Amino acid sequence: MADAVLELEGLTKRYPKLVALDGVSLRIEAGEIFALLGPNGAGKTTLIGAVCGLVKPTSGLIRLFGAAETGSTVAARYQLGLVPQEINFDPFFTVRECLRIQQGYYGRQPDEARIDEVLGALKLAEKADAPTRALSGGMKRRLLVAKALVHRPRLVFLDEPTAGVDVELRRDLWQYVRKLRAEGTTIVLTTHYLEEAEELADRVGVIDHGKLLLVEPKAALLSRLGERRLTVRLSSALAELPEGARLEGAVLEDGGTRVVYRERRGEKSSAEVLGALYAAKLPIAEVETASSSLEEVMMRVLREGGAAR
Amino acid sequence: MNTIGVRTLLVKEVRRFMRVPGQTVLSPLISTSLYFLVFGYTLGGRQAEVDGVPYVAYIVPGLVFLGLANNAFLNSSSSLFITKIQGTIVDLLAAPLGATELLVGFIAGAMTRGLLVGLLTWLVALVFTGVQLAHPALTFGFLFLTAWVFSVLGLLAGLWADKFEQINFFPTFLMLPLTFLGGVFYSVHRLPEPFRTASLFNPVVYMVEGLRAGMLDKSDVSPLLGLSLLLGLAVSATATAWVLLARGYKIRN
Repeated sequence: MADAVLELEGLTKRYPKLVALDGVSLRIEAGEIFALLGPNGAGKTTLIGAVCGLVKPTSGLIRLFGAAETGSTVAARYQLGLVPQEINFDPFFTVRECLRIQQGYYGRQPDEARIDEVLGALKLAEKADAPTRALSGGMKRRLLVAKALVHRPRLVFLDEPTAGVDVELRRDLWQYVRKLRAEGTTIVLTTHYLEEAEELADRVGVIDHGKLLLVEPKAALLSRLGERRLTVRLSSALAELPEGARLEGAVLEDGGTRVVYRERRGEKSSAEVLGALYAAKLPIAEVETASSSLEEVMMRVLREGGAAR
Repeated sequence: MNTIGVRTLLVKEVRRFMRVPGQTVLSPLISTSLYFLVFGYTLGGRQAEVDGVPYVAYIVPGLVFLGLANNAFLNSSSSLFITKIQGTIVDLLAAPLGATELLVGFIAGAMTRGLLVGLLTWLVALVFTGVQLAHPALTFGFLFLTAWVFSVLGLLAGLWADKFEQINFFPTFLMLPLTFLGGVFYSVHRLPEPFRTASLFNPVVYMVEGLRAGMLDKSDVSPLLGLSLLLGLAVSATATAWVLLARGYKIRN
């Protein structure tokens, strides 16, 4: 098992009328990309805030890089980076100055080479000497990412890093995140774009109402809870499926012009079902197969709650 | 201790107020010059003397105090408050900066602005009165402690405030009355009782009279008592601010 860079044990945050985190236990391993998914208000940002010092946990343990910390994570924060969900900027300073300040906050002397590298990777080089107030929304978001990375953290939290930004930035960021991971950086990602998590994550956690419903490798989760959908379009409508094609899970839809089979793990394969349909001499015009997306799996987990574990 | 972090915060605070020098440095100098003109040269001030000191010179320590105290307070209060409003407080809270680092960085930045404006006010006063600095070390001691006290008070105000209106509460309803009743423009010994005794409960009196002792060698109260009181005030206010920062009062959820 890889070393843990972050371990949470029974992490709880209670507000007077809300339990934002309800006994969350989680282990993030070195070098992985972990996607924390869940609906609005599920507790994702609170969890990140508790680790990064923005939120005071009510109880529980936060252990960063193997060192036990309960009340404060100050000493460990030299190696953390955070892209907050809300865009913020200091209008008094230029992009480059903001990055120098950020390096200083993290106990580092100004490192212009690193600043140039991060600016280049996030396509901000042309704006290096522009005041932050002159940046567009997407540029400000890039600056947040640059600030989170400029001090070379070992563990980076990306809280909705691509919210409201264009496709180009999203693709640039994904590429850069993969590069960071290849260099050994651990990344915890929250996102509303499930496509993003599907593209990047090694493991996925689903949280709702402050409870962590499951944590699993993405591929295993998709395989376990996802389904393959076989759709067979017919050239003429059928009133009912003929003998030999009446297979468990196969249904006639769309006025008898389509046979749909949802394959789940351990059930008859789509190939076997398709073979049976051909053998039954159905008037097959077109065949489509599709797999569940992470979004569909997450929705299923949320619907079924802890039962999907 | 994250010394680079503290230094970065201090330098950032200084650069922040130096980016708007018209507002942060020039404006107090203009108001100070107007005080000299109105109180020192009109209203009979040119002929008057207080304890053998020309009135225009007598008000210099008080005016230096005004510039210093206001600017030290405004720097820490507005900087912290704006950081909260802009959301850039996240950068500070997520960084390896504990309560001590935040406290030292904000206070040092605010003291720098306060002392700078105090120095410039004194330089403006030289034009009107000539050099008057009887005890440089004592003067600097009072300048330092006054800047410290008001920087911490500004920090406390910035922490507490949720709205801009609340930031203005302290200067308008607390500092202004205490300042104008604190012997900036007159000698508290000339007040009738019970106002004279009541004035001795005003900490501003000890700051102004301390500066007066340092600059003019004239004072209505003991400078040693003033230094002790100011040091006590500075330490207790700083301890309060440290506890609030460590608890994340109004900055951490």
